[in-house]
Amino acid sequence: MTGGPTAYSFDWSAVARGLPYLLEGAALTVLISAVAMVLALGVGLGLAALSQVPGRLPPRMVAAYVEVFRNTPLLIQIFIVYFGLPQLGLKLSPFLSGLSALVLYAAAYNAEIFRAGLEAVPKGQFEAARSTGLTELQALRYVIVPQAVRISFPALGNNLVSLVKNSSLVSTIGMVELMFVANDISFNNFRTFEIYGAAAVLYIVLVLALTRLLRLAEERLLPAP
Amino acid sequence: MNLTVVVETLPYLLRGTVSTVAIAAAVVVLGTAAGVVLGLLRFVPWTWLETVVAWVVELVRAVPLLLLIFFIFFGLPALNIRIPTFPAAVLAMSLWMAVNTSEVVRGGIKSIPRGQFEAARSTGLTGLQTMRYVIFPQAVRRMIPPFVGLCTILVKDTSLAAIIGVFELTRAAQETIERTLRSFEIYLVTAAIYFAICFPLTRFAQKAEARLHRP
Repeated sequence: MTGGPTAYSFDWSAVARGLPYLLEGAALTVLISAVAMVLALGVGLGLAALSQVPGRLPPRMVAAYVEVFRNTPLLIQIFIVYFGLPQLGLKLSPFLSGLSALVLYAAAYNAEIFRAGLEAVPKGQFEAARSTGLTELQALRYVIVPQAVRISFPALGNNLVSLVKNSSLVSTIGMVELMFVANDISFNNFRTFEIYGAAAVLYIVLVLALTRLLRLAEERLLPAP
Repeated sequence: MNLTVVVETLPYLLRGTVSTVAIAAAVVVLGTAAGVVLGLLRFVPWTWLETVVAWVVELVRAVPLLLLIFFIFFGLPALNIRIPTFPAAVLAMSLWMAVNTSEVVRGGIKSIPRGQFEAARSTGLTGLQTMRYVIFPQAVRRMIPPFVGLCTILVKDTSLAAIIGVFELTRAAQETIERTLRSFEIYLVTAAIYFAICFPLTRFAQKAEARLHRP
């Protein structure tokens, strides 16, 4: 102890003791984000496809979905799924509640990214593809979507990075991931500074690794035409 | 669904909304001021300073806002820095706002063609004057859409302050639900109030963005 009776003495061994659990939490954060992103890519792509359907209603419904989920807090969406839906008879576990809220939220952003990507491909591409004898579906599958994916890739990557950080919110309903583990350890051993500091370092490592990986993937897999 | 509960509890939720707007306003002022300074520091002639700022921004941006709030509220007391809930939340969010705003400022300035710098310098303006009179006024127009987008995210993220007990809209909703046990209706109304604030901001950002691309 230094500096009087109220001074805090750092105990970095608390980090060493907590580290296995924190790493497990970080692995869960990665897993949850990955699963949520895969599902959100599917939902987002479906919504974007729906927004291209002729007729007024489908595009408007997609736009409404996107605006509602993008303009309300994720935390409230999580609370509606976990605390609100049981009132209507739908009771989900913390894991399923957290995951579905993350998927619905990320899907709204993905849908908008895909839609913009699809619309950024020049119309002539579709017409040219059709005139070579491809069917509509083939033209979409082999000509339009590959270009739209390349255009969308950086924004989708940013959304994934946001998802990793946003997944910390599901700790509030008791879904176990990095933030939950950090709360759990520090509320037990009161080493708040060290444990939250260690959790911050783990998030930084995750996010920086992910951004580097995405940049590499963008350069390697999707070279500019 | 119980609509009388909604009507009865609405005044309390609106009190929470006032607090939410106050928090967001405070953060916009503090965070933006700091963010503009951080963003401009990326263009100083001293590379070491530029590098330090770039790293600080990248590291802070990688940490979830919830963790920033917990670190400041629960972690800093370890250093004998005890900050009450409200200023702790405002401080954490301002830090978040500052680093993100700095990226908007940097992006806006970088989007101005180099020729503008060179032309301005060749007319005899100093580096500082060039930034002040030529580059920054043009860059500001391009910063507005992403900046308003950032403000929308901020309004949504003020809900995180409820987790450490700050009274704002989400906290008001939680307190109301503890009394009425009508979580579905109350959270739905809460979401609607957030939407009423955020949607106009989103629309404004979209319009400003569209205006940029018009000749």
